[in-house]
Amino acid sequence: MVAEDSAQILRQQVRAWLQANVPVGWRQAMTNSEQAAFVQLQRQWFGKLSAAGYATPHWPSEWPGGGRSLADQKVIYEEVARADAPRLILFFVALYHAACTLLECGSDAQRQTYLPKILAGEIWCQGFSEPNAGSDLASLKTRAERRGDNYVINGQKTWSTMAQYADRCLLLARTSKAEVPQAGLTYLLVDMHAPGVTVRPIAQITGDDEFAEIFFDDVEVPIEERIGEEGEGWAVAQATLASERGLTLVELSHRMRYALPLIAAQMRDSGREQDAALRRDLGRLIARVDATCALADRYLLKRISGEEAAGDASVVKLYYATTLREFSLLGSRIAGLAGQYDRGFMRGATQETGNWPVDFINSFNWSIAGGSNEIQRNIIAERMLGMPREPRSWQMTAR
Amino acid sequence: MADDGALMIPHMNNDVRELQDSARRVLAGLGLAADEAASWPRIADLGWLMISTTEELGGLGMGLAGACALQVELGRQLATVPFLPAVLAIEALAHGALADKVQWLERLTAGEIYVAVPLADCALNVQRDSRGALLLTGTLLAVPSADNASHVLLSTLNGEHVGLVATAQPGVTVIERATWDTTRRLFDLQFDAVELEEHHIVASGSQAQALAMRLAVQRDFLLAADAVGGAAALLQMTVDYLQARTQFGRPLALFQALKHRCADLKAQTEAAEALLLDSLGREQMDSADGIASAELAGKAAKQLACAAFATVAEEALQLHGGIGMTSEHNCHLFLKRALLNEHLGRAPDSYETGIADAFLASCQPTCASIQTL
Repeated sequence: MVAEDSAQILRQQVRAWLQANVPVGWRQAMTNSEQAAFVQLQRQWFGKLSAAGYATPHWPSEWPGGGRSLADQKVIYEEVARADAPRLILFFVALYHAACTLLECGSDAQRQTYLPKILAGEIWCQGFSEPNAGSDLASLKTRAERRGDNYVINGQKTWSTMAQYADRCLLLARTSKAEVPQAGLTYLLVDMHAPGVTVRPIAQITGDDEFAEIFFDDVEVPIEERIGEEGEGWAVAQATLASERGLTLVELSHRMRYALPLIAAQMRDSGREQDAALRRDLGRLIARVDATCALADRYLLKRISGEEAAGDASVVKLYYATTLREFSLLGSRIAGLAGQYDRGFMRGATQETGNWPVDFINSFNWSIAGGSNEIQRNIIAERMLGMPREPRSWQMTAR
Repeated sequence: MADDGALMIPHMNNDVRELQDSARRVLAGLGLAADEAASWPRIADLGWLMISTTEELGGLGMGLAGACALQVELGRQLATVPFLPAVLAIEALAHGALADKVQWLERLTAGEIYVAVPLADCALNVQRDSRGALLLTGTLLAVPSADNASHVLLSTLNGEHVGLVATAQPGVTVIERATWDTTRRLFDLQFDAVELEEHHIVASGSQAQALAMRLAVQRDFLLAADAVGGAAALLQMTVDYLQARTQFGRPLALFQALKHRCADLKAQTEAAEALLLDSLGREQMDSADGIASAELAGKAAKQLACAAFATVAEEALQLHGGIGMTSEHNCHLFLKRALLNEHLGRAPDSYETGIADAFLASCQPTCASIQTL
């Protein structure tokens, strides 16, 4: 088939390019590295990828690097995973969340203003969660008050990945108190260098500080920086959240498959290659990883063909998160005591590094962030299996 | 989004989909664990036994993917008919070298005769007698509905032959082995110096080994399909029960502790189905390498699907509470089929270790050491 041939040609091109360009020894370089080195590596790698046209394959064709078919995008992601290239963690929100939100819900002027900045390497962050609005995101309290041609923002956001480096923030704020909490929300683009914005990195249990708190103190945002209408922020936020599904999980699932040799290496290093019980566990894990890839691939196919059903994305995310946990736990169990020795952590690494305690901890990024496993289970139970929703107020059921 | 021409799912073409939809309706009409004697002529009339055979041989040409699509539906309704072994026998003959295979296939695909195949890994000793005749000795295990079979398809332990032997003859003893699963009827077939006649040899030498391997792969995929169907149906039945059953003044389905368990079961069921369909779409058994690759994929699909079905069955029994412990409720029929499925095919643990062994062998020389990462 012609399409298959062209995919095959692209695969070879991408593979050859990656072979020549993936930074050699980046894993060693990023272990216990300084933040500055991490930022530098990320910027360099983004520069190379975008110059080669591989950073934005999911963008439309009028943008540089865009216009790839989904089949071609999948080829690129599989090859990036295969080559064990660094993930573009610093640019992830800009390339996916911001770009997809602008493309889907932004105005022409907003697209013309911001997509070129993203291509030029602007860093974005997401300001959704708050200390008191996590799983119950719609209860968020950060206020955006209309004063003349500006909104004035006051409040606090948290768990904002890479916010300390960010130039711009995707902000979900409350513009009115409505009966339904989702109805009073508005979506704004905030300049992180504006007066009144304070960012405080949060020390994480891995030793990293990948995410941060953001404080907004009378921060002025021009009304042109609003995406969608006032009060319609919730719908825009759904577009933001949807962007990290699909291809991202295809990439991550395939990365997990290519990381399976880490388990084999650990078995060998620990002298337990012949251990029959471990072999059984490994066989089971391989089947699960294969199934994760198959689920992610199928989800993508369903999205393309318009057959996506409510809850499909939740199944992929839940299954990926639980498989990733098992992956790190098996590695950790094989490594034994030696696996518990502190070998530092790797900045900007993938989910699987063979530094098992860190991999284990990082696997919680996928079971908590972007809708926790528990939220995904609610969605699956309610929207796929048709089970009833919780009553809205616990007080209603108190008696 | 841009064009997506290359991302087709070859096995999920519309013909297969339509057939699967109609199979679902037909089987729902027959009911859960419907009577074997009444169902068999029905599935033969519908042409389901022709599903996998190529059009040149008079079949529907939908291959293993088509057979698996039907087996998913048969699993959903806990079908008692021996469709799975019948398809394996038909596949064996279609790929074998019997001189009169076209006549055999005509009768088999029409359901006129049934050739049974053991669903456990087993083979028979073979010796030549003074006349040079091949004499078979030993026991075949887990042969479904063997009392209805004119012949059984078997392999010899030395891997030299795959052949057919008539079941009703001196030297062959057919012993029913009642299982807890009452939706299948399994038999042992004991052979005491029974001749494997020259004109019943389906394959010999390396071709026999390749054929035996192919059949084991197909058996694994079909067992996976049966488990996928069973798991999906049982989960649906369990959710329906939780919706209908009221305690503490509300449906059980409202309790998050129960909803979340159902969600986990849904994810496992979906994963098993995705892996099965993905593998069926990807694997090509037209070369030795292709069969070796399909063997691994089949092991993974079988392991994952049967484990998922068993987990769903275990949880379903718990979630049904006391009613699930009563024989009049259907819950136990699923549970017992799920438990048996885990033990059909290869030895249960050998699936996991087989996958791991192949993986460890494949990444042996190039695997990075953890220390250097």
